[in-house]
Amino acid sequence: MNLVNYWREFFLKNGTAVALFMIIAVGMWLFMMIILPQLFMLDFSIRANVPPPKFGTEEHYYTLEHYKYMVFGSALATDTFNVIDLSVFFRTIGAAIFVTLIDLAICYPIAYYLAQVATGGWSRLMVLSLIVPFWINEILRAFAFKIIFGSTGVINNFLIASGLLDQPYDFIRNDIALWAGLSYAFILLMIFPIYNAIESLDKNQIEAARDLGSPWWRIHWRIVVPHAKPGISSGCTMVFMLTAGALAAPQILGGPSSLWFTQIIYQGFNQAGNWARGSAYAIILLVSCIVFVLVMMKIFKVRFGEMMK
Amino acid sequence: MIPDRVQKLLIIGFVALFFVYLFGPLLVMGLSAFNTSNFPRMSPWDCFTVEWFDVLMNDARLITGVRNSVIIGLGVVVLAVPIGLAGALMLMQVGPRVRPWYYTITIAPILVPGVVLGISTLLFWDRIGLMLGATEDSIFYDGMFLTIIGQATFISAYAMLIFIARLQRFDVALEEAALDLGATHVQAFRKILLPYLRPAIGSAAVLAFLASFENYNTTIFTIISSSTLTTVLASKVRYGIDPSISALAVSIVFLTLVGAVIYEIVKRREARKVKAQMAVARGEATETRKQRSFFSEPAFIMFVLIVIAGMGTIYFAGTIGVEECKTVVKAERQAEIQKRIAERQQQQASERAVDVQSDPPKDEDQTDRADKVTAKGTEGYQGVFAPANLQGDSESEPDEPAVGTEGYQNVFAPANLTGDATENSAADEPAIGTEGYQNVFSPENLTEQVQPDASGN
Repeated sequence: MNLVNYWREFFLKNGTAVALFMIIAVGMWLFMMIILPQLFMLDFSIRANVPPPKFGTEEHYYTLEHYKYMVFGSALATDTFNVIDLSVFFRTIGAAIFVTLIDLAICYPIAYYLAQVATGGWSRLMVLSLIVPFWINEILRAFAFKIIFGSTGVINNFLIASGLLDQPYDFIRNDIALWAGLSYAFILLMIFPIYNAIESLDKNQIEAARDLGSPWWRIHWRIVVPHAKPGISSGCTMVFMLTAGALAAPQILGGPSSLWFTQIIYQGFNQAGNWARGSAYAIILLVSCIVFVLVMMKIFKVRFGEMMK
Repeated sequence: MIPDRVQKLLIIGFVALFFVYLFGPLLVMGLSAFNTSNFPRMSPWDCFTVEWFDVLMNDARLITGVRNSVIIGLGVVVLAVPIGLAGALMLMQVGPRVRPWYYTITIAPILVPGVVLGISTLLFWDRIGLMLGATEDSIFYDGMFLTIIGQATFISAYAMLIFIARLQRFDVALEEAALDLGATHVQAFRKILLPYLRPAIGSAAVLAFLASFENYNTTIFTIISSSTLTTVLASKVRYGIDPSISALAVSIVFLTLVGAVIYEIVKRREARKVKAQMAVARGEATETRKQRSFFSEPAFIMFVLIVIAGMGTIYFAGTIGVEECKTVVKAERQAEIQKRIAERQQQQASERAVDVQSDPPKDEDQTDRADKVTAKGTEGYQGVFAPANLQGDSESEPDEPAVGTEGYQNVFAPANLTGDATENSAADEPAIGTEGYQNVFSPENLTEQVQPDASGN
């Protein structure tokens, strides 16, 4: 009864046409684009891998084999665990955390400098110029790093010319190019939330702390960081998500022996033709990302809404 | 305690370093677009050219990709902007209990990895198509349609955030006044709310188009057999690179800058207009002066002139004398390689001479055997691993003096096996046979294996 009243009021308040537009658009978005596709993917991942004509038949039974495969590998394998996929998964998560920390370490001082120290048109120009690299395609950004870190790249040529190395260092095989490229790709998603948070901090608070004799690190620890907490958590979440879910940069910059978890998913779809396993792995990626967000919310004691401002 | 001056210098140094990190890669990539080298690089610098832009313009796959990207981008704008608007309006009206859930679900697509969105869209429409008994060429299996849907899933959330920011400052009293004065709901929506939201609609549309244009993670799964700019680019970068990709990047940066300048000019014009209207309202001026048309704006004319002059200069410098320059560079490279080969051979010859002289007579037997092995080795295997043969490649193709460094040909060439792919060291290599592990068959190594035997006797 309550619900009927609610909808009637909704239609009265907006007028029939607008109310219909809102309901249809939002309903299509929520159900046809967000919720149902995810549920279908979940359903797909817990069924046997059969070709489309057999969907819904008895051969398309429910099973957890794809998740088991991720942990234990195929029944024929000699290893107890699926060493390859598991190590790729944990390496991806570890590398994503590492890239997030690098970005945080780079961006916090810069954001603080731009928001509190730099003044006038100069700082405005710097903030504006931050946006330029962001509009360049992710693939092209990775490509730029390939040019720089390649064995005949600028860095190797420089190191050899200056006599520091006598043979080029393989940045790509050692994943350095990948880390640098990923940190670069998402750096702005770290800088802007922190910048916005720090910018709203009253300068007087910092000055008061300084007058009372607080050293610079305590000013940051007790005043700036707590104030910037929502910005830091949102920056970290964005960077982690995008790094863990990145596909282009690992494809271009990854060494021949190091895969990214998204690449395994991609292979499942495009080369192995095992869509069911591919979607099981996609679910695993999705769940680990959700877990990461929850952990971040717990650590920083912020709510989801605060984080996503 | 660090003195203030030093501290300040350190900070400025850090900021400067940061901006180098931010723009350095783009600069290197940009410059590599104007280098004649077949492999995109800035050093060594060969000749200044614009030929890669020609290559870019004649790349049919890329052109198709760009066309598809534009169509998909427009489709996403048409779908995502209304959805974002409806989503934002809905958020303003849902009850406090539903609100956090609603917000979380609608914002989630931004955080969900693009790969996951692509896969779920693909699977979902595949199943729907199957349930409806649709055929392979129906819309459910059409890459463009799926890509538009998949991208709109998260781009709608971007649009929604933009609308929420604008709606939060909306004065509801305006709408209520319109309704009180007898406007219908649709009229109030069209005449009050939409005009108020117009700037937000504009930015949401631009953002949606750009986000769609550069998306890769979702697209790669939903595009199926078609291609977009990003998928073409990715396969190009992965499987074979030439500097036309750098040329594309330069074009994109250029277009971005043009867009930014035009946006700035438009914004200033609007600010001036508002100021003039305010002056009229205050009674300081009697009428608003008619504005010049956008194209006769001095800033715009200046900008166009600068762009034309700059492009003209670059084109002029990049087309004239390129061939001559190329031949000169080629000749230089060739000469350098010849010189190094000669040097190396001379050096080896003198080394051998010293070796023979200094060999104590007691080892004569071994030297003999070693010499025999040497002779056998070179004859038997015809020196397959000898640098001269590998180098033969590059000499027959004078276009690429240091072949081993470019593309993937000669993966097994000694230069690459040592991990040396620099042009310089590759040129060094001709006299190889002495470095790395590729000379397992060379006399020196065989002798070493023989020696312990001999001394054991």
